[in-house]
Amino acid sequence: MSRRAPALLFAALLWAGPAAAQLPGFLGSVDLSLARQHFRSSFPGGSESLSGALMSGRIGVAFRPVSVDVSYAQGRLASGDGTSAARSVVEASALVSRRVTPWLLLKAGPHLRAYAAPGSTERWVMWELHAHADEPVITGVLAAYVEGWIAPISSANVDPGGSGARGVEVGLTMRFPDSPLWARLGYVVDQSSLKSNARTESLQSVVVSIGLGGR
Amino acid sequence: MRPRRLALAAAALALALAGAARAQTPAAQVARGIRAYQNLDYDSAAVLLRAALAVQGGASLADSERVRALVYLGASELYRDHRDSAATLFGRLLRVDPRYHIDQLQFPPEVSGLFQQVKVITRVVALVVPADTEIGGGRDVLAVRLYAATFHPVDVAIVRPGPGGARLRTVYQGNVGDSLQVTWDGRTAEGTPVDSGRYLLQADSRSGDGKVVRSVAIPLTITRIRRDTLPLPAAPAAALFKPEHRPGGNGVRGAVAGAAGVIAVLGLPAIVAGKFHASNDRLLVAAGFGLAGVLGFRAQRGPQPILENIAANRTLRMAWQHQVDSVHAQNVARRSEVRLRVRAGALQVLGGAP
Repeated sequence: MSRRAPALLFAALLWAGPAAAQLPGFLGSVDLSLARQHFRSSFPGGSESLSGALMSGRIGVAFRPVSVDVSYAQGRLASGDGTSAARSVVEASALVSRRVTPWLLLKAGPHLRAYAAPGSTERWVMWELHAHADEPVITGVLAAYVEGWIAPISSANVDPGGSGARGVEVGLTMRFPDSPLWARLGYVVDQSSLKSNARTESLQSVVVSIGLGGR
Repeated sequence: MRPRRLALAAAALALALAGAARAQTPAAQVARGIRAYQNLDYDSAAVLLRAALAVQGGASLADSERVRALVYLGASELYRDHRDSAATLFGRLLRVDPRYHIDQLQFPPEVSGLFQQVKVITRVVALVVPADTEIGGGRDVLAVRLYAATFHPVDVAIVRPGPGGARLRTVYQGNVGDSLQVTWDGRTAEGTPVDSGRYLLQADSRSGDGKVVRSVAIPLTITRIRRDTLPLPAAPAAALFKPEHRPGGNGVRGAVAGAAGVIAVLGLPAIVAGKFHASNDRLLVAAGFGLAGVLGFRAQRGPQPILENIAANRTLRMAWQHQVDSVHAQNVARRSEVRLRVRAGALQVLGGAP
């Protein structure tokens, strides 16, 4: 993956997002996020910890009552003490969602994750099911949300293969009055496992986002 | 002695006819003159038709009758071997009606041939405009129809009346064949609408060397008129607006949401990832939830906005405001728009042959 890819993606989002959000009848949204991520891999006999920053972008397009969110994230993780090799992390997902009640949104779709270290790249493909719920805290201004997911089907290119993943995100969304602009502060935890508990990988992130349009 | 008697008899007949002609209306004289022409009595026809054409004032012939009298008189004169007189009469006819085409079924080739010869050299043009019209605003224009007897160059202009009247706008400059429509938007050459007043729509027929051979004009009486402004639309009735707030609660729900968020952030690592070493970064999010809980508790105790109703009311207000803006814009345009009422008079001959 080219190092220019995220910069180009962000430039495209910055250029297209505000213009698209102003189009009459446009029911989509765009957002940009910055995450501080902690990664921990546990395996029999040891573990390794890495941390770093990820930037991500997301585009959502609504085809009522269904909408599609496509996201891409890229960053670099490194160990604080230099005991583990640094690696790049790339994530992409495409989730189809449908609001089943005014407060509950269900999503499903593939989620790809890759860790690229010198000499090897670990790839995960997870088919995820998400449930997202909102609760207004200050009507029209501030809302709390929680989103949980599981990946009943997952695969990894490392032996003995993926056995599944799960995760939760909680956070707050603030809307600016009379503006399509919103901001979000979230906390994400997820865990993916290889078969036979050969290895467990956990991620936790604090995410700050700013976006335009729906959500 | 015999020729002398004949001459006296003819003179007596002419006098008798002239006397009888004077006693009739010009239209009746024209009808009798045409009958005399058709009976090959060209002398009588000439006397009757000349008498009809000589009547001036209110009893004079209408243009259509005048044209009819002239064509029969011209034909009569031709048959009386007065070719020059016939040509002069045909020229006079074309000045009354440049569009006139002689009926070749009614008149023999020598008559129609002479008429065509005269038509080719008669540089006259007639102007036709609506009697009463409203122009201006960049859309409505005065349509002027030009009819020419023969192909020749013509200048059409709006001028001030009187000797040496200033030319305010050249409406057309070029050749006219049979007919041509030109338009005037009510503005001067500088692009400003003319003031209320009297003007002339003047057409100058030119010879091959550019000299004006005949000028005709239609007097125009122009009045500036102001358009009425539109009334502003009434504001939507109060009954159309929905309530924008509902009474507040006790704030517990907001506080619970904040507290639940704090607990979730603190507990999630253990729930999802077991023995995972949780990062302290998440405390930022927990603090956010704590603050949100306090704010939510306070906010939910006051009146709660009903977002759907607020949006519906805003749409209603914006629709009304849009109408108001639209009417304002139209009224500004109406105030700045100068419209002119143009009343046209009868065609006048200013110069050249009458």
